Amino acid sequence: MAYRVLIVDDSPAMRAFVRRVIEMSGFDLIACFEAGDGRAALDVLRSEWVDVILTDVNMPVMDGEELLTRLAQDELLRSIPVLVVSTDATENRIQRLLASGACGYVTKPFVPEQLRAAMERILGDPHA
Amino acid sequence: MPDPANTENALQSALEDAVKEVLERMFFLEADSGLPADAEAPASTLAAHLTFEGAPPGSLSVSLPAAAARVISADFLGIAESDLSGRQVEEVVCELANMICGAVLSRVESSSTFRLNAPRIGSGAGVPAPGAVVTLHSSCTAYGAFTAILTTEGTACSSAEKRAS
Repeated sequence: MAYRVLIVDDSPAMRAFVRRVIEMSGFDLIACFEAGDGRAALDVLRSEWVDVILTDVNMPVMDGEELLTRLAQDELLRSIPVLVVSTDATENRIQRLLASGACGYVTKPFVPEQLRAAMERILGDPHA
Repeated sequence: MPDPANTENALQSALEDAVKEVLERMFFLEADSGLPADAEAPASTLAAHLTFEGAPPGSLSVSLPAAAARVISADFLGIAESDLSGRQVEEVVCELANMICGAVLSRVESSSTFRLNAPRIGSGAGVPAPGAVVTLHSSCTAYGAFTAILTTEGTACSSAEKRAS
């Protein structure tokens, strides 16, 4: 099965790294969209459907929390699973993001297996 | 009120653990704390700096040899060193600083919320404000010395101290 993903992070290096880990984990990507902040992500989602969104939290313009809130308010977009990938591992923040609709949380720094496991919980085993 | 000596020890320990964790997990790089006595200063270095808001606010700078920055950037992005642009190297070093800072703050501000500002290339450290706590950590890697400087304004309160209070 092939997937469409959206990676949201203000660091181009991190977006490239996350994409690389997803591909190395065996997920076949037919489309990989990138956005540097939450607003740019919503712009992408106006014209493109994705199977999963991976988002950072600390971003300029619109951060990951605001993005989650906007997605939850949209009848169509709220069904897209969102995996948060962030340096912020404080308990308060994680609980708040999960309460806002995130379906998983991976803390940077992570080993590739952690991201793969989180993706598998959402999309299933890519080798099945 | 937290004991300043305990706070400095907590910051030192958090910074050391964060540097080690980021280098090992994201860059697959072993790092030993401290530098050999005969370590030579690199010909050129690349540094990134970022400020953060939280309790307390502060800043973090990282620097490493420019040649090392190219090698780890190529590994991180999965591209050949010869295909790497200077901008890509800077972006990776900025992300390195960002991750170390987040990892430190998640340790010392585990029950509060912090916000990282965008990292910039250049040390930018400047002169610390009066009362600031400056924590320095150096690591020795296969590609040379790696240095991180954490400056916190006022007295930081470690997660252990928060739990105890």
